[in-house]
Amino acid sequence: MRKTTVCILDDEPIVGDRLKPELEDEGYIVEVFIDSKSALERLDEKCFDVFITDLKMEGVNGMGFLERVKEKCPKSEVIMITGYGTLESAREALIKGACDFITKPFRIGDIRAALKKAEKRVKQRR
Amino acid sequence: MANILQSFQKLLKLLNLKKEEEIPFSDLFVRFQNILKQNNAAMELIADMGSKMGGDFVFDKKYLIDSVEELERILRSSAYDLNFMTKNKYLEIYEVIERFSKELKMELQGKMVFRETKKIYKLTEVEDGMEDMIGHKAYNLSRIINLPDINVPDGFVVTIRGFREYLAYNNLFEKINSFIQTCQEQEKTAEHVSHAIRLMVLGGEIPPDLRRDILQAATKICKGNHQEAYFSVRSSAVGEDGELSFAGLHDSFLNVPMDELLSAFKKVLASLYNTESLEYRRQMNLFHMEMAMPVLYQLMIPSRVAGVLYTLDPNKPEGSESVLSGSWGLGKVVVEGESTADTFRVSRMPPYPVVDQAIQEKQWMHVPMERGPAKPVPKSRRNTPCLTPQEAALIVRTGLILERYFKRPMDIEWSLDDKGRLWILQARPIKLSGKRKRKGQIIERAIKGHRILLKDRGIIAYRGVGAGPVFLVNSSDDLSKFPTGAVLVSRYATPWLAKVISQASAIVTDIGTITGHMATVAREFRVPTIVGTEVATQVLVPNKVVTVDAERNVIYEGYIEELLHHQFLEEPQFEITPEFQLLRRLLRKISPLYLTDPQAPNFTPKGCRTYHDIMRFMHEKAFETLVQIGSDPRSFLRRGGKRLRTDIPLDLLIIDIGGGVAEKTPGETYITPDQITSVPMKAIWEGLSSPETWNIEPIPVDFKSLMSSLTRTQSEEIMGNNLPGVNLAIIGSDYVNLSMPLGYHFTAVESSIGSTPENNYISFRFAGGVTEITRRSRRAVLLMKLLEQANFKVQINGDLVTARAIDLTEEQLIDDLRLIGKLIGFTRQLDVMLKSDTDIDRYFEKFLNQVKRTNINQPIEKRRDNNEKDNSLYS
Repeated sequence: MRKTTVCILDDEPIVGDRLKPELEDEGYIVEVFIDSKSALERLDEKCFDVFITDLKMEGVNGMGFLERVKEKCPKSEVIMITGYGTLESAREALIKGACDFITKPFRIGDIRAALKKAEKRVKQRR
Repeated sequence: MANILQSFQKLLKLLNLKKEEEIPFSDLFVRFQNILKQNNAAMELIADMGSKMGGDFVFDKKYLIDSVEELERILRSSAYDLNFMTKNKYLEIYEVIERFSKELKMELQGKMVFRETKKIYKLTEVEDGMEDMIGHKAYNLSRIINLPDINVPDGFVVTIRGFREYLAYNNLFEKINSFIQTCQEQEKTAEHVSHAIRLMVLGGEIPPDLRRDILQAATKICKGNHQEAYFSVRSSAVGEDGELSFAGLHDSFLNVPMDELLSAFKKVLASLYNTESLEYRRQMNLFHMEMAMPVLYQLMIPSRVAGVLYTLDPNKPEGSESVLSGSWGLGKVVVEGESTADTFRVSRMPPYPVVDQAIQEKQWMHVPMERGPAKPVPKSRRNTPCLTPQEAALIVRTGLILERYFKRPMDIEWSLDDKGRLWILQARPIKLSGKRKRKGQIIERAIKGHRILLKDRGIIAYRGVGAGPVFLVNSSDDLSKFPTGAVLVSRYATPWLAKVISQASAIVTDIGTITGHMATVAREFRVPTIVGTEVATQVLVPNKVVTVDAERNVIYEGYIEELLHHQFLEEPQFEITPEFQLLRRLLRKISPLYLTDPQAPNFTPKGCRTYHDIMRFMHEKAFETLVQIGSDPRSFLRRGGKRLRTDIPLDLLIIDIGGGVAEKTPGETYITPDQITSVPMKAIWEGLSSPETWNIEPIPVDFKSLMSSLTRTQSEEIMGNNLPGVNLAIIGSDYVNLSMPLGYHFTAVESSIGSTPENNYISFRFAGGVTEITRRSRRAVLLMKLLEQANFKVQINGDLVTARAIDLTEEQLIDDLRLIGKLIGFTRQLDVMLKSDTDIDRYFEKFLNQVKRTNINQPIEKRRDNNEKDNSLYS
C-alpha cells in the first residue's frame, strides 16, 4: 500500500522540526517548508496527499496557499494551523475547502487525529 | 485682610485635600476586585506557560511573545489599580515591571540575560540553564545534587568569568588567539601550539580576588577541617560532556590538598590547550566556539571501591543489562585503565540482579587522601569481587534514576565510601549509535504481545516513555514503601506525591490537571506523566508491570523494551529545541514565587525577582489596604460598615456595597443576621451558624470554648502582624467577599451570582496552620476530597487549598455556599486531629454523613450515594 505523503508549511521552523519525526514515526512521508515560495514551487511538481499549513506567513499566506492547493490538487486535503483568536479566518478556510483547522499552540495528538481524518478522506477518494 | 484670605484659602485647600484622601469604598472595592481578577488571569497564564514545558504541545515563538505581552499588560493594569487604592504609594512597581520587561524582551531576541554572573558558584546554588557558564560536567552534577536521596560530594565551580579574568589579568587573550589561528590554519602544529600556550597559562598569576574567593569557598566546604581535606579539581570545559564528549582530553587532579588548590587551577586551565584537545577541535571544526574552562572543585570521598557504570551497554543497546566495572580504592584505575577491574552485568529490572560477572585479579589501587602512584592491592583482596550483589543493585538502581532524569543512557563514575554510602562523581550521557526504528513499527509489533490497558484517557503532563511495576498510592504512608522505578498510580495528583516523583519511572493519576502543582514537579524531575485518566486506579493492577507511553497517551501491559529505547534515540529531544529553552529561560524570570512572607524585610517592590512575585506583592498590598480600612472602626463606620450582632460571638464586620443588607433605622451601628439580604452571604451564614456545624467538629469540646477559640483571630500567624485580624465581609445583593483569619487559619470566600449560570461562581481559599507539613497536607487533602465531592475544582499547593466552582445554578450555588460555611467551622484544628492518613477517610465520611443527616446540604445527598454506617462523631 502506498504511504500517505504530507507537506508541512510553517514559517516557524519548530513546527516542522517537531512534527516531521513524529509523523514519520507513524509511517507518513513528510516534507517540510518554512516559506510559501519554496512550498509553492514544490506544489508545482507534486501533489501531496495532505497539506498542513500555517495561516499567517510572509508572502503568500496560508489562505492563498490553500487556494493554490485546491486549484492544482483537488484530491488533496488541507489542514490549517491558526493562531488563537482567529476564528473568522478559520471559518473562511473551511469554506474554501480546508478539511480541518488547529489552533496554536497545539498538541501533537491533535495533528495526529486531524491527519488521520484527512487521510481517510483522501483514501476514499482514490 | 489679605492674610486672612490667604489663611482661609489654605484652610480650604487642606479641607479639599482631606476630602481628596477619602476614596469612596465602592471605588476602592472595584479596584480591589480588578486586582483579584487580574491576579487570577496572571496565575492562569503562568500555569499555561508552565504546562507547555511538558513537551506534548508544539508552540512557536509567537506564543511566547504574546504570552509575555499579555502578562505585562495584566501587571501594568494591576499596578495602576493598586496605586489608585493606595494613593500612589507603590509607584516603584512600574519601574520594576519595566526593568523585567526589558530583560524578557532581550531574552525573546535571543540574548541570554544573567542577572548576575559570579566567579564562583556552590554546586547547590547552580540554577537551571547555567550550563554555558559552568560547563556541562559541573552542570550535570548540580542537577543531580538536587535530586533527593542521591549523594554528590560537596563542591563549587569557578565559572567562565573566573577563566576569562585569569586570561585578562595575564594579558593572554590575544597571544592565545594568534597561536590558535596557526593551529587552525596549519596541520601538524597542534603539539607545538599546545606547548607554547600551556607554558604561558601555567606561568600566569591568579588575580588576587579570585585566589581569595577559591580559598574561601574551599574553606567553607571542608568545614574548618583544613588539614585532612582533600579535593578533586576537574576540568568542566564548556561543551565537554554535553553534546560533545571531549572525554579524557582535559586534565583532572585527585587528592589535592588545600595548599595546592591554586596551582591545580592553573594546571586544569592549561589542559584546555592539550595537544589532543586542540587536535580534536580542529578535526571537529570547533574553533569558532569560544574555548573556556570552568573548573570544578569537590571534596574527596574516602573511597573503598569505585568504578564506572554504563546504564546501558553501548555495544548491545537492545539488551536489558547495565555494565558495571569497579576496583578497590579510587576510580582512577578503572577510568584510566591502569589496572584490571571486575565487570558485572546487571539487569535493568528490579531488583537488579547480577546476571554475569567477571572477577579479575586487581593488582593496583589508588588510596584516597594519599599522594603518589598506585599501590599494590593487599593479596587477600586481589581476587575477591569488589562489589556485593546488593551494592551492585544499589549502583544500578541509582544510575537508572539518572538515566530517567537525563533521558539518555548514562556513563557514570561512582564511589562507595567506607560506610557503604554511594556517591556520584560524574555523569554524562552515552551517545548511542544506530538508526532509530519507526515508532509505528515498534508499536505494531509490540501490540501483538502486549494488551492496551488505557488509551487516550487523560492528558499528558510530561512527555516520555516509562515502564515498571504499578505502585498504587492511597496515602502518604504508602510513599515510604515506594520502590524506585515503579509506575506511580494515584487517585489524586496531590502535592505530597512530590517526595517520590524523582524515583518514579512514570506517573498516572485519575484526577489532576497539567497546570497543577504535582504536574509541575513531575516536569521538574522529567518523569513521564499522564493526569486525569479517571480510571487508572481501577484499571492498573498493583505490582503488574506496565509501559506508559506518554508520547501517544497509551498504557500497555508488560515491559516494552523497544519503546523505552526508542526515546533514547529521539532527535531532537524536545527539550533542546530553541523555543523550549527560551520558554525555560522566560519562566525562570516569570514563574517562581520568592516573596512568600509579607513580614520579611524584602517584601517590597525591589525585593521582587519574578512576575509572580510582583503579582503576589500587589495582591497582598491591595488586600491589606482594604482590611486596614475595615479595621479602623471610625473609617469603617464612615464608609458605611456595620458590625454583625449575633448570639454566636463571632466578630464579623460587614460592608454593604449595595443591596446586601435590608433597610433599617438610620444611625444603628450594627446589623443582625436576619437583616442580611445578600443571597450568597445568607447561604454562608446559614452553614456557619447552624448548630450542626459545631456538632461535626471532630474534637469533643464544649460549645463555649470552641466559639471563643473560633473568634480569637490570630492573623499574625498567617497574615503578618501589621494586619489586624479582622473578619471582614464585603457584601452586595448578589455578591460576597468574606475573609476570615480564624484560629490559625486563613479562609477567604468569594462568590457572585451573575445573570446566567455560567456567570455564577464560588472561589474558596484556605491556608495556614501550625502543625508540621504532613498534617497540613492531610488537612488539605481532606478539604480537597470534600470540595471535590461538591464538584469544586480544587488545587492544593502545600497547605494552600484553592477551590473554584463555576457554571452553577443559583440553587447549587446556595447549597455549595452552605457547605462552605460548615467547612469553615469543621476545618478548624483539623490538622491537629489528622494523625494518620486513614483519618482522612474517616473524617471525610463523618462530615458527609453529618451533613447528610442534618439534611441542610442537599447537593451532597444528591451527588453521592452514601452508606450511612457511622453517624456518631465521637466514636
